[in-house]
Amino acid sequence: MNIKELIALINQMQSDGIIERYAIGGAVGATFYLEPIATLDVDIFVTFKPETGKAIVSLQPVFDYLKARGCAMRGEYIVIAGWPVQFLPPTSRLVEEALRDAVTMDVEGTLACVFTAEHLAAIALQTGRAKDKARLLQFIEARALDAARFQAIVARHGLVDVWKRFEKQFLSDTS
Amino acid sequence: MSFDLEKILESKRALRRELAARPLEEKLRMLDALRERVLAIRQAKPAPDADVLREEPPPGGKTDKPA
Repeated sequence: MNIKELIALINQMQSDGIIERYAIGGAVGATFYLEPIATLDVDIFVTFKPETGKAIVSLQPVFDYLKARGCAMRGEYIVIAGWPVQFLPPTSRLVEEALRDAVTMDVEGTLACVFTAEHLAAIALQTGRAKDKARLLQFIEARALDAARFQAIVARHGLVDVWKRFEKQFLSDTS
Repeated sequence: MSFDLEKILESKRALRRELAARPLEEKLRMLDALRERVLAIRQAKPAPDADVLREEPPPGGKTDKPA
């Protein structure tokens, strides 16, 4: 079980032209900015080169490529280097932007493409489950966010009211 | 023995800061180890009851998976 091997295989898949771009999100993405966060799976957001005449994005080429390299399907996941991985096409403008603005980090010679901290935080705000709110608080407490950049993303994607509610609920000083 | 809650919380914050500042390679190795531990714990405990309260999936299903 080795997440670095997983990243290397995704890089190879990108080099081989199966995917156009990718970025790591979820708890694994957040771990690039925060303390390690226990998780059971890896979320990889992907885009493909647009094909004329094809309106629906299919992940089949990804699965075929990985299965040919010994990876097994497990439900909606494909297991790479021992980790269940979920490949996710962008489902909102926010995620599309996050993919476009993703940053490349060097993990001792292996390059990893990861969402920015501000986009991870904004996606957590937008998704809004309890664990997403906890994640957003972690980013704030760790001072891992560029406040101006985060606020700009929040404004651009219509999340100002959601952010105000979050601030009131978790960040206002009630003492 | 006294419990200074603020001191305890500050030491937790300090540990989290220290972990966050570790090299990426080391943090990713920790993820590998954490996952193995979580799986070991899950395998060791009995299956949860059906009436256990669970978090709802996000609107739009799993494809809207968050940060």
